[in-house]
Amino acid sequence: MSGMFDLAIVGGGPAGQAAAEIACAAGLSVVMLDEQPRMGGQILRQPPRSLKVRDWLPGVTYRDLKAQLHRAEALDGLDWRGGVSVLGLFPRPDGLRLLASGRDGRQILEARHVLVAAGCYDMPVAFPGWTLPGVMSAGGVQAFIKSQQIVPGSRFVLSGTHPLQLLVADQLRKAGAEVAAVHFAQSMAAMAGQVLRDPLLPLGHPRPFRDAAAAFANLRRAGVPVRFGQRLVRARGSERLEAAEFADGTTIACDVLATCYGFLPQADLLRQAGCAMQRCARTGGFAAKVDRWQCTSIAGLGAAGETTGVAGAEVALREGRLAAIGVLLSDGLLSESEAEGRAAPIRRELGSLQRFADLLARIADPREAIAGLADDATILCRCEDVTRGALIRAISATAGPEDASALKLVSRAGMGVCQGRSCEHAVRALLAEHGAAPGSGFTARFPARPVAIADLID
Amino acid sequence: MSRRVASQHPGPILILVDGAEVIALPGEMLASALLAADKPVFRNDLEGKARGMFCNMGTCGECFVTVEVPGRPARRLRACLIPVEPGMKVQRG
Amino acid sequence: MNAVDVLIVGGGLTGCATAWHLAERGARVLLIEAGELNGGASGQNAGSLHFQIERRFLENGPALADQASRVLALNRLAIEDWRILDQQFGPAMEIVMHGGLMVAHSDAEVALLERKAAREAEFGVPTELLDATGVAKIAPYLSPDIRAAAWLADEGHANPRTITRLLAARAIESGATVRSRTRLADVSRSARGFHLTLESGEAREQIRADRVLLATGAATMATGVLFNLHLPVFPAGLTMTATERTAPMIGHLVQHVGRRLSMKQTESGNILIGGGWASKLQRGATSFDLSCPATIDPDALQANLRAAADTVPGVAALNIIRSWTGIVALTADQLPLVGAVSRAPGLYVAAGGSGFTLGPTFARLLAAEMAGERDGDSGLALFSPDRFDHLNGFMG
Repeated sequence: MSGMFDLAIVGGGPAGQAAAEIACAAGLSVVMLDEQPRMGGQILRQPPRSLKVRDWLPGVTYRDLKAQLHRAEALDGLDWRGGVSVLGLFPRPDGLRLLASGRDGRQILEARHVLVAAGCYDMPVAFPGWTLPGVMSAGGVQAFIKSQQIVPGSRFVLSGTHPLQLLVADQLRKAGAEVAAVHFAQSMAAMAGQVLRDPLLPLGHPRPFRDAAAAFANLRRAGVPVRFGQRLVRARGSERLEAAEFADGTTIACDVLATCYGFLPQADLLRQAGCAMQRCARTGGFAAKVDRWQCTSIAGLGAAGETTGVAGAEVALREGRLAAIGVLLSDGLLSESEAEGRAAPIRRELGSLQRFADLLARIADPREAIAGLADDATILCRCEDVTRGALIRAISATAGPEDASALKLVSRAGMGVCQGRSCEHAVRALLAEHGAAPGSGFTARFPARPVAIADLID
Repeated sequence: MSRRVASQHPGPILILVDGAEVIALPGEMLASALLAADKPVFRNDLEGKARGMFCNMGTCGECFVTVEVPGRPARRLRACLIPVEPGMKVQRG
Repeated sequence: MNAVDVLIVGGGLTGCATAWHLAERGARVLLIEAGELNGGASGQNAGSLHFQIERRFLENGPALADQASRVLALNRLAIEDWRILDQQFGPAMEIVMHGGLMVAHSDAEVALLERKAAREAEFGVPTELLDATGVAKIAPYLSPDIRAAAWLADEGHANPRTITRLLAARAIESGATVRSRTRLADVSRSARGFHLTLESGEAREQIRADRVLLATGAATMATGVLFNLHLPVFPAGLTMTATERTAPMIGHLVQHVGRRLSMKQTESGNILIGGGWASKLQRGATSFDLSCPATIDPDALQANLRAAADTVPGVAALNIIRSWTGIVALTADQLPLVGAVSRAPGLYVAAGGSGFTLGPTFARLLAAEMAGERDGDSGLALFSPDRFDHLNGFMG
């Protein structure tokens, strides 16, 4: 399969949908690719069509997003390709080539413009026992409920620093799961302190706060303990998870421990293509640098949503709109003043939404909670089973490596199937701890997702 | 033990996991079928320790299994992204 | 001003190994590396230990092939050098010499193998020709379409990710000083040797060195400018690809006489696929900009993988997890550029061609020559940079 398009959108979440709506309305040919079989992104990860779900994702939180999703799914000019992994982006004289693979093999597409709106993923946090079956990311657990209509265990503990875990716990409870505890590593006072630095800000954005408060109240009412200042230190079990252990020595029996410390941008395609990136200070990871029309440093290549810095769906979809308006401007379909006119209200909303996203990021700051969690026997690189101790030995060796890429070569950390998405931030932090300048991280390589040789050469 | 909660679904299908029959629902992902069958171990690491899935969004690579469906050659695929199909044969590890 | 006997520029395999050999002899050695140790081709190649005539030498007609074949004299020495390294360093270098096969699919390719083997025999490299049955017996993983193969029992692979640093560590233990993130900024001649300005970050330092070795790989042309010399070495970007780990499948180094292909399985179980497919170098203002990463060419990559699947069908079902580029250095006559530069007494160079396979040998021979132990032909005469001295006849 192949094709030639005006605009290729990588990622079917809110940012991609918003861009598609505007681009299709202007008559552009648009293709959208996503690894999931259905459009929606992680926030609206849809159930398979074969499952009938009553009252899917109820509530005002999802209402507008669901409306946009339904509009995007109905777009006539949109070539939707689900179940497709984009492996690499290659600049061409007039646009970019995308190499992708799906169930039916290789796809080569050409597009004059590419928008990467690939979202984010849960920040993986290494601690003793975190490789036991049953320790999962909170986003992963939530996706089982949202999309797969499965409660992936019997007794759940949620732990971390990000308020999203309140929502996940409440969704688990509503789906009939037993939630044994929701533990925040930071104190309630620390969280409140962040809010009080800018006390009027939440008033302008009541919805996320109302959602978190409602989930908190629901959990309390249902007798689910929600505690603060409880730092997760260990997962216990032999063949699978049996309990979560906290810094004060308490252990809670569970068969799923969902960790929730924040999110990292899915930026490997852009890093591979050589886009200018910036490091995310609190979580680690790298976000694309973009200009006021969401263009990256590479001509024809834009980025929107969490790929440019994790700030939530409301920011993402507005960035998607800006990106599409920018495409129309560059194609001469809008004049400078028309484009600026359409963008102005979006930019105003983005300004205050971004301040709110910053507040949430400050509240959820994982750095203190995860410092010193891993011991020398803890695996940091899950793919290649490289422990913290092995990395320290490599750093300390005579003529040892000084930056992340060199440490990767010596230690194999980041050389496995995930290309370092799980360990890069931890490896960089470890280097910094040992006085090295970790540099720009691992070099992102083609293919962004593993692909069988036979499927690539078809 | 995982549990399915869909209110309505089509009749189940059978897949083979390491030679044993496992009941799955059409459309659901292979990872879901494995968890619902109480098979949370997807592979063993270099030291032989059990590993399960982690991210459930195609990013971490912990859920790679070998998958064969009738009429197609075997592939190593992420179980969280592969819908089950009748006659699917799966090898963990 | 600090003074050293030898300044080595370039922290790759050849530089680090030469530093070790010279430090062992008691020389005061300083090695500088502009980036990270092992950050260039020494760490980015796929680790082949290939001692048969390379396919690339056969691509450009018999005259050039004859000329390039003379490198076989070094290949013979390199086999011994790798065996010695294995004894000296043990399993950390992952040196595996279980044999290599250069395979042929067509009649024409079989004929090419025969001519190649005859030439190798002249130089005492004991290549053996196998027919289809013989191939299937040694390497049942190869495609049944393979008609013949040239077998050399000494070929294999080693771990390029670790070897250079192990050599650097040995050099340091022997008394050498090794400084990364330090570049050579300026050079002038002194009464005996060179005055050199080193730059690391904001800091600049003057040192004096009796002798200087440039082991700067693809950057050698640029380093030569500091000495007012043309050192004609040309960069090329080569693509390599790793599969996911898999059970032992390929026990040898596999190359193809008619197609660009090299394959091997590492100790970790990954299969590495390369063989000379181009990555695209970035264009700078007046030359290629080696500070920007080269880009993978998807067409070349796919052709490389097709050659791999045609040769070892079992790899087709494997996932690839990473493709990358190594920047190699080539010369006009395809032979390496190794030895003293007569026009600049005290200056030595080592660059160009098969720097991983031949690096330990370059280093051993150069160290002997730089230490003044040269009696008669050190083995490097053929590769002397002086064969391009005419390029420097008008440099003043």
